[in-house]
Amino acid sequence: MTWALQAEWTKLRTLPSTVWLVLGTVVGTVALGAAAIAAVDIAQCPSPTECFEDTTKLSLTGVWLGQVTVVVLGVLAMTGEYGTRMIKPTLAAVPERRTVLVAKAVVVTASVLVAGAVGVVGSIIAGRILLPGNGFTVANGYPPLSLTDGPTLRAAVGTVVYLGLVALLSLGVGAVVRDTASAVTAVLSLLYLVPLAAGLVTDPQWHDWLDRLGPMTAGLAVQATERVDQLPIGPWAGLGVLAAYAGAALAVGALVLSTRDA
Amino acid sequence: MTDRPEVAGRDGFHRLLLAEWTKLRSVPRWVLTVVATVVVTALVALLVASSSNADANEHRVVVGPDGQPVSDEFHFVHQPLPGDGNVTARVVTQDDSNAWAKAGVMVKEGTESGSPYAAMMVTPGNGLRLQANFSTDLAGAAEAEPRWLRLTRSGSEITGYESPDGSVWSKVGMVELDALPPTVEVGLFVASPNDVQIHRQLGSIGVGETPTAGKATFDNVSVVSAQPSKPGAWADLDVGQPGTAGASTESDGMFTVTGSGDVASDPPDDDVVLISLSPGVLVAVLAIVALGVVFATSEYNRGMIRTTLAASPRRGPVLAAKAVVIGGTTFVAGLLASVSAFLLAQPILRANGYGPPAFPEPSLSDGPVLRAVVGTAAALALIAVLSLGAGVILRRSAGAIAGVLVLLILPLLVAHALPPGAAAWLMRLTPAGGFAIQQTVDRSETALEPWAMIGPWAGFGVLCAYTAVTLGVAFWLLRRRDA
Repeated sequence: MTWALQAEWTKLRTLPSTVWLVLGTVVGTVALGAAAIAAVDIAQCPSPTECFEDTTKLSLTGVWLGQVTVVVLGVLAMTGEYGTRMIKPTLAAVPERRTVLVAKAVVVTASVLVAGAVGVVGSIIAGRILLPGNGFTVANGYPPLSLTDGPTLRAAVGTVVYLGLVALLSLGVGAVVRDTASAVTAVLSLLYLVPLAAGLVTDPQWHDWLDRLGPMTAGLAVQATERVDQLPIGPWAGLGVLAAYAGAALAVGALVLSTRDA
Repeated sequence: MTDRPEVAGRDGFHRLLLAEWTKLRSVPRWVLTVVATVVVTALVALLVASSSNADANEHRVVVGPDGQPVSDEFHFVHQPLPGDGNVTARVVTQDDSNAWAKAGVMVKEGTESGSPYAAMMVTPGNGLRLQANFSTDLAGAAEAEPRWLRLTRSGSEITGYESPDGSVWSKVGMVELDALPPTVEVGLFVASPNDVQIHRQLGSIGVGETPTAGKATFDNVSVVSAQPSKPGAWADLDVGQPGTAGASTESDGMFTVTGSGDVASDPPDDDVVLISLSPGVLVAVLAIVALGVVFATSEYNRGMIRTTLAASPRRGPVLAAKAVVIGGTTFVAGLLASVSAFLLAQPILRANGYGPPAFPEPSLSDGPVLRAVVGTAAALALIAVLSLGAGVILRRSAGAIAGVLVLLILPLLVAHALPPGAAAWLMRLTPAGGFAIQQTVDRSETALEPWAMIGPWAGFGVLCAYTAVTLGVAFWLLRRRDA
């Protein structure tokens, strides 16, 4: 297992695309988060005390963009080997195929968790700097974002875990589909289409069910720090939904990897 | 086939087209993608139509002479005018209760809300206007009150005049009101539309409307009939059910009138054509993007690009042929998809409350509906070509697909979470604005969907610009780079 881990880590870190994708996650998360904060001003509320703006969630909006490079990284870790036929030497070196998948999962998720943590902390810092300028001040009832605050810490840690689970989901889909284009399209569709569809469906019950079942909408419920009891799905339960998607994808991936010719 | 030297021009390009078409149709996965796009678009349209409900028709809906939903609420100080004649008044003052508050003279079939009318009016923010039947809107001089206004009836022709002093009159315009009865109601009217507040609360956008009360004073009011008749007595009432009740007083020929509401077309915020097209198309876009990108990158993956460029050393036409083939195929598939989505979803939507009178029945022959249906196919074709360009530039499927989807889909999601001003800029700056071509209802202040933030052609233009620039860069890189 150690050897397999080392081999996967070497493959991952020596690909030029990995550095760019990891950087993309950090930059994308912080940049979109900062842009979202900059666009929201307390003057748009009926009054400062009736705004109920979830500033933590707003600051973490950037994951919507940051997750895209995570998807590409997760998918490519598997499909890249099929594109270049690297998969043959890989499986010759580690004949126990599930070990290969586990090793890939470990190194990809570890990289994504590090990138995600940097991106999330960067977003929180951006929030601390930018929010007071738009009227979200202590005087208006918005203390500066802080990781010592329980709900904010939950949102921050949960967002990092969310990115890790998205990486696992992408790796699993990559293992099942083996084709880069199809796998990237499938994962991004799964993530983005559900919230878009929820925006178009007028029936509130359908809307809530879509929020509960979509991997992105359910998984990001963990970012909420305001009115958590009124969410369609609880913060940790939502991450559980995403974990179920990732687990299912990985399980099917492991199965087809073991049974199919490479 | 005999050997011939490479022929440039149309004949050569024709063969390139054939070559690219053969590549596209001989990959079963790609053909399946195109077919699936059509089927899935129609299925999603059916599903979303079945799960959508509207209750607008459970409330009272006022429709204008052409069957379109309208708002027709104002305070009317009126008297009958038998036959031809005119009504004249000077607007002395008008309160600035709303930029579109209206005060002036009106000729109306009766006092029924929604009945045909023509009106000369002053507004605080939009100058002097001649409006008729909730659709005609002609601008006059922009000077403020006091202003003399006159409407003259001659059969079905109503002519509007304005004057700064009551002696020199200039014509603003003429409108035809068909089927006016011999005796119509004429007089003074005051309306003031609701103030719209767009507020952000709990991280989402809400719309609130509060009634405003308009107030204006008139003097030199006269009604002149061509038929000999005794001077009529003034009566007053609120036409429709304005948010706050109006009133009027008169002393020494000076009328003070207050009124609330609006006299204007009032299209529903929900766009029935967009509801039937948009969800399916969003799904179709994902497949189209992947297809467009792979149509380019697969040449690189398999080294096919060297064969392609050996067969046709002039690289520009190769990319042009690829663009024509993928764009044309997507357009045809997109048209099949949008027409079938429209035809399948409309009856279900009508059954779920999206029917007349609140939602006039759309027809494929209406200009805006045709624009939406054909425009959807054109937008899909442009997106396919944009993806092809991105594929040529990046030469990697993963990066190109992710990049194009981020530009097309993410702005729609982010726009839902941001205030309208920021959402409008997102639509102007990203190709996601292209989805605005699916709108068929005039944008109103209270419509907050991302695609309502930009006009249909403007949004389509943004998508065209992105496609042109991407294809241009792809041309340049393809000629400059080694294959």
